Amino acid sequence: MTKDGVQGAAEETDQAQSKKGLKKQQKEAEKAAKKAEKQAKLAADQQTTDEDDFAKDRYGVSPMVQSSQRLDRVLVRVQELTLEKSDQLIWVRARIHTSRAKGKQCFLVLRQQQFNVQALVAVGERASKQMVKFAANINKESIVDVEAVVRKVEQKIESCSQQDVELHVERIFVISQAEPRLPLQLEDCVRPEGEGDEDGRATVNQDTRLDNRVIDLRTTTSQAIFRLQSGVCQLFRDTLMNKGFVEIQTPKIISAASEGGANVFTVSYFKTSAYLAQSPQLYKQMCICADFDKVFCVGPVFRAEDSNTHRHLTEFVGLDIELAFNYHYHEVIESITDTMVQIFKGLRDKFQTEIQTVGKQFPSEPFKFLEPTLRLEYQEGVAMLREAGVEMGDEEDLSTPNEKLLGRLVKEKYDTDFYVLDKYPLAVRPFYTMPDPTDNKYSNSYDMFMRGEEILSGAQRIHDAQLLTERAIHHNIDLEKIKAYIDSFRFGAPPHGGGGIGLERVCMLYLGLHNVRQTSMFPRDPKRLTP
Amino acid sequence: MPMYQNKGTDEHPVVRALEARQDEIMRRLYELKAAVDGLAKTVTTPDADVDLTVTTLSQSPVTTAFRGTSDLDTLLGKDLGALRDIVINANPAQPPLTLLVLHAMLCQQYRVLSSVHVHSSVSAVPTQLLSCLGLRHADSYLRQRFQLGFTLIWKDVPKLQMKFSIQNMCPIEGESNVARFLFRLLAPYPSDPALATLVDSWVDTAFFQLVEGSTKERAAVLRALNSALGRSPWLAGPEFSLADIACYCCILQTGPPSSTPANVQRWLKACENLGHFRLAQLLLQ
Repeated sequence: MTKDGVQGAAEETDQAQSKKGLKKQQKEAEKAAKKAEKQAKLAADQQTTDEDDFAKDRYGVSPMVQSSQRLDRVLVRVQELTLEKSDQLIWVRARIHTSRAKGKQCFLVLRQQQFNVQALVAVGERASKQMVKFAANINKESIVDVEAVVRKVEQKIESCSQQDVELHVERIFVISQAEPRLPLQLEDCVRPEGEGDEDGRATVNQDTRLDNRVIDLRTTTSQAIFRLQSGVCQLFRDTLMNKGFVEIQTPKIISAASEGGANVFTVSYFKTSAYLAQSPQLYKQMCICADFDKVFCVGPVFRAEDSNTHRHLTEFVGLDIELAFNYHYHEVIESITDTMVQIFKGLRDKFQTEIQTVGKQFPSEPFKFLEPTLRLEYQEGVAMLREAGVEMGDEEDLSTPNEKLLGRLVKEKYDTDFYVLDKYPLAVRPFYTMPDPTDNKYSNSYDMFMRGEEILSGAQRIHDAQLLTERAIHHNIDLEKIKAYIDSFRFGAPPHGGGGIGLERVCMLYLGLHNVRQTSMFPRDPKRLTP
Repeated sequence: MPMYQNKGTDEHPVVRALEARQDEIMRRLYELKAAVDGLAKTVTTPDADVDLTVTTLSQSPVTTAFRGTSDLDTLLGKDLGALRDIVINANPAQPPLTLLVLHAMLCQQYRVLSSVHVHSSVSAVPTQLLSCLGLRHADSYLRQRFQLGFTLIWKDVPKLQMKFSIQNMCPIEGESNVARFLFRLLAPYPSDPALATLVDSWVDTAFFQLVEGSTKERAAVLRALNSALGRSPWLAGPEFSLADIACYCCILQTGPPSSTPANVQRWLKACENLGHFRLAQLLLQ
């Protein structure tokens, strides 16, 4: 109805403009015209709807759920929509994943977490033409309540997780409407690496994803990753609880840096300053001295390292273990490696669907491990590297490329993605590391590796105040600053050892992902503080 | 023996008793010889060259079994200051009996760090397979103290596989080939090419005809064994060799034959008396 008016106005201004501007103007005018047309049509539709829509009670936008009534309606989960439910009339709440209208029918894909099902709205005795139109016009990602009959399908629906059935919609109500334009498309987010380039289709880069994390987290891949991560935590807790460990909570605001002062965050603390804990190390050890015997702790850990790599975050979740042992620190190694193996086994047995879902977007070889875990000594590792042509000194620390190469060599010989490297040179470990009794060049310390990347660093700690003081002096550490720590060992301390694992790294390496940000829900790094 | 057989082919109780006594004496002689060989080995260990010259001088076609080849450097190449670890991937459905026997023999000669692992590709492994390499060495926390590593991994592999020096060697496939490799660490092959080939051929016969063959084939092998053992106490002459280990283990694996010829029976007894096969036997129970 406004079509003519708009065009007329556009023509008037045309003359004053250049040719380029003219074209642009024309396009804009056309756009406006189209928009107007659409609106007009919509209004007209509305009219006809009001006039003769027999199904007008069967669809629409529900009033905001403000808990004004409590319905006895059972909402079935999408996951449960299988052949057993066929020919039943059920209610489902789900998101509109995609919609495709085709004449008198409209296909919707309804999504709930990592599961989705095809739904069909077709003109018939239950649905009117207007209802189909309404269904087709619901914005993507809106949440809807749907009443539908479950029907068996002739051919499997390959694009959905529920392949054997589809829903024949009888009623559809919008519970929460999404804005029409999404900052990124979910399909683009789950496209396997490299595939988008070939088809010339869009892929979303990591930063855009992280900027819109809430939407990115809805993808099947993200859903699977974080379900698996929750599984890692649960398996870690369950295994340790069964071994008689006690879960402890330690303060994160501390008065002194625990591992070197350089990479620690300073926070203002009333009239003085404090630090964010780099690890619960000191507190774990104090608990051992306080007769807790075996402790673990799950909590945030902060590192102020300005390293922008694929595997560093400034805040991550640490899974820390510390335990007293009887005679040999290998009791500690065995306890930790057994815990890790239990986690790997639990993931392999209980999270197979999640692993496969992630594998669809980020293909990787399944994680392999040995039970009991393979333990190599540092000298052996160095010998393997030398045999492969790497030149390095006996007491030199492993560089990251060498770590990776050693991981590959170990994988080739033993076919395991998880192993322990024992007996590190004393010189490259922190001051509280117990020296080796036979050779002072080495120490009772160990690293654990997954897919050639370090996930855990641990050692037998010095539980003798005298030796601890000596070692601290050797490392040029101000004794005054660590007085409280050394003092805790003066009143009888059992021999003990432990280690700390980064939850995000374990998930990343288990799934064979390439960036730790993928397994951190809201990652923090030197350049990212939001969302 | 032919003498007695000529006189009275009928089964006379006195003759039988005599035969039994002779067998017993023979067996004890073999045992004695083995013991003396063992002693000789310890005496000649420091200088293996002497041993070699002795055999060449005497023009004996067979070298003494179980020479003290403690010098692993000559056998396995230069020492890199780390444990030489032999990794064997075996399927728990087919436990490699010969390798377990050879492992026990290696342990007598070297300081061997043995460990058993289960790969994530198999879910459940019977407990006796987890302890098939015997008890853990008391020093096993110090890997550098050992000369050889023997790492057995129960894994879902179609064929048994050995990985040793990944930089220089491709993985070795097949139990028989791995057995040959391990046996050479214990004793050199006979220097006589014909005899060495004979040992090899017996090993092949054991794995391809005894284990995988039909009943007919197995019976044929038993006949061949019987005639060979009629000529000499062990399969490849007067010395116990890999041929005996392989054939014994393969017979053990296929179950006792319904009718064992006399020489084979005597030989089976002699093998058992050596004591190398006890663990393998236990495993099959």
